[in-house]
Amino acid sequence: MRAVMMLVSGALLGVLVFPGQWIPAELRFDMASVFGTPAYRAPAATPEMSAGMTPIDTMCPEDLLGWRSAQTIEGVEIAAASTCSADNPYAIAAFVKGTNNVSMETLLRAGLTPDALEKGADLDGDGDPDEIHIRLEISELNGGSPDAQEPVVQYEIAPGITPGLWVFSPKSFGMATENFDSNIANALLRSPAPAIRVEQGDHIYITLENTHYMPHTIHLHGVDHAYRRADGQGNDGVPMSSELPVQPGEARTYEILPRSAGTAFYHCHVQPQSHILMGLQGMFIVEENRPNNTLQSMNIGAGEVRVRSQASRETYDQEYDLQYTDIDSGLNNIIQQTNDPARIEQWLHGGYNLSSAHSNYFTVNGRSFPYSFRESLVVTKGDERIRLRVLNAGTEGLALHTHGHKATVTHLDGHALPEQGQITRDVFWLASAQRMDLTLDTRNDGVHSYGSGVWMLHDHTGKGTTNDGIAPGGNMSAIVYRDYLAENGWPITQGEDMGMFFDPAFYRRGDRDSEPAVEMNAAFFLRLLALGFAVALLLTGFVSLLLPLARKSP
Amino acid sequence: MRFGAEFGLLCALLVLPSAALAQHEHHMHAEGADGSRFDRTGMVMNTNTETLPQNCEQISADLEWTVRAGTRYALREAGRVFGYSQVAFEAPPCSRITVRFINEDAIRHQWMVHGLPRYLYPEGMFHLEASGGQEVQGTFIVPGDDATYLVHCDITQHMEKGMKGQLTVGRGNGDLWSIPGVTADFNQSSTNPRGTLMLLGVSIMLGMGVLTTTLIGKQDKTVTKEK
Ligand SMILES: [Cu+2]
Repeated sequence: MRAVMMLVSGALLGVLVFPGQWIPAELRFDMASVFGTPAYRAPAATPEMSAGMTPIDTMCPEDLLGWRSAQTIEGVEIAAASTCSADNPYAIAAFVKGTNNVSMETLLRAGLTPDALEKGADLDGDGDPDEIHIRLEISELNGGSPDAQEPVVQYEIAPGITPGLWVFSPKSFGMATENFDSNIANALLRSPAPAIRVEQGDHIYITLENTHYMPHTIHLHGVDHAYRRADGQGNDGVPMSSELPVQPGEARTYEILPRSAGTAFYHCHVQPQSHILMGLQGMFIVEENRPNNTLQSMNIGAGEVRVRSQASRETYDQEYDLQYTDIDSGLNNIIQQTNDPARIEQWLHGGYNLSSAHSNYFTVNGRSFPYSFRESLVVTKGDERIRLRVLNAGTEGLALHTHGHKATVTHLDGHALPEQGQITRDVFWLASAQRMDLTLDTRNDGVHSYGSGVWMLHDHTGKGTTNDGIAPGGNMSAIVYRDYLAENGWPITQGEDMGMFFDPAFYRRGDRDSEPAVEMNAAFFLRLLALGFAVALLLTGFVSLLLPLARKSP
Repeated sequence: MRFGAEFGLLCALLVLPSAALAQHEHHMHAEGADGSRFDRTGMVMNTNTETLPQNCEQISADLEWTVRAGTRYALREAGRVFGYSQVAFEAPPCSRITVRFINEDAIRHQWMVHGLPRYLYPEGMFHLEASGGQEVQGTFIVPGDDATYLVHCDITQHMEKGMKGQLTVGRGNGDLWSIPGVTADFNQSSTNPRGTLMLLGVSIMLGMGVLTTTLIGKQDKTVTKEK
């Protein structure tokens, strides 16, 4: 009897606190025909998307150290940077002269070690050094930690977006962050790996000092190199075929003597399904041999080449290195989820399945929009011939579209095309690992250029211009004419206020479950408690009803 | 001391260098009278052999430590790849410490002490850095109060993957987290198998059911007895 009471009262209470939910839809229609339709109740308001207006100066931070200005350091004339953010000019000077040929002061300001990039003898007697020794380390950005609750040594590709990254970096000294109180990576440690520039016929030594906790190699894709060094050591960087990988704490030197010039690619070849995509990828450019060739042998984070080669000066007015890639945060964030390298290795090997993965971030020179607008704009005064060296280092195809311009492809994978093969068009398709040298002609003739303005330059594959599916983002940059460029290097646009794109909330993916439309209030809480009580009544009533039956049955 | 201090300032703030540094232009080797240096072998910064911290009357002791660095000193079972031959350092207040830092790997490593008084050590840091296979040496004086200082290598992920130690001056002021073999990691990975939460929920519901039914059963019995 007591059990039946419990069942009935439980059912009643349940219906009382949450009436609508318990009545089947068909019954509700019948009830409405008898009792009338329920009265209107205002739905809870949808919480507004926070689009806080960020002050304009955070769109383009002030150049406090004067890195943008034209300057002469160690006798090296460094052109002014057009864009808002620029590389450290002391590092540029050291990369031109060689870190062994500049003053202590320059090195200290550059953050480089004396052996980071050594330049030696002039072997062919044409007025420039031909012995080049480059030392690369490997840095982990946005990595894991046994203690911290956020990624360590942070590098934002876009506001609030910090995927785990492994990058080749020049040999530097001191702290990895800006200072001890900061968690922001210093300017030398960034994505992508530095674009390396050498001269045809140079004797080049590249030492990989593996400062990382995983084994790595360097594979020179498209650069003329011998399969083995003279002493028999493997020189191709492929663990399966040419040599064992360089273990943590170890170093190995690759030797190359490139006989041909062209735009190429270097990357790690250990577990290529993950290490390249983790960020171990960079541009490798072999310039044509010229007398007195001034080469900026490293271009940190790629982008505008501020000290150009003789060959570039002969034919072009400007030169840019543009490295496109894509990131799958499902892969890259593995390193943030555990501090145990053995576990990381297991998850990279068998836990992550590239064949069913999709990239969700798309970068040009290591940044996505809006940060790509700070450093990867192509700036022109008009009537210029601009060389764009383009690499697609990602897993997905790149449909590079130049708004307002038709560019001309002159080289594919570092090899010059015959005159009749040099196609002029406005969308260029680059498959994974392909390189393309484009000539951007900014003469206003209705074909090569439609005139002055802020013309977008981006991947036209749709998701390429999003940050995890949210637009505008991705590898979007622009071709900007000087009359549309502010003094600080930010483009003068006349569309939407770009401030909102600098708010990390703009790119936070709205999760339907995690962001409830209705807030918990006291009344709802009480109703929920009562419902719980009703369910308990029903359960115990049901059990105590069955218990005597169970006792009787044997 | 001056030379070292300026080294630190220059690196940190990129201010104009001192005359002392300017003299070293176009030489790939700089060495101060106090042992500060920056060359191909590495870097010794913010050394201090003479100047007493404010709360010290005299040097209390002279200590000499040899620290080796490399992957062979890693605590592998704890998921560490890099390591120091020693991670727990103890020193009396106001002692002068000379560290000989030997790098047994073929890559760079550092031995940095953080949190020292900034009026003596720019950025509060004493800094030894050795290139692959190199050895450097430097001296500094610790302050007079009980404190525990972080010792680490700041190359990305070297501290996280093992190159972390602590310098306890006097009684110190509490151990740091994740010192290999000494203290625990703050982020403990879960060791519970899959489905733990679900099983816990089911067992709580079962327990509640059993308890309530036995209670009701007892009441029913008393009711029947009364009848
Ligand atoms: Cu280290």
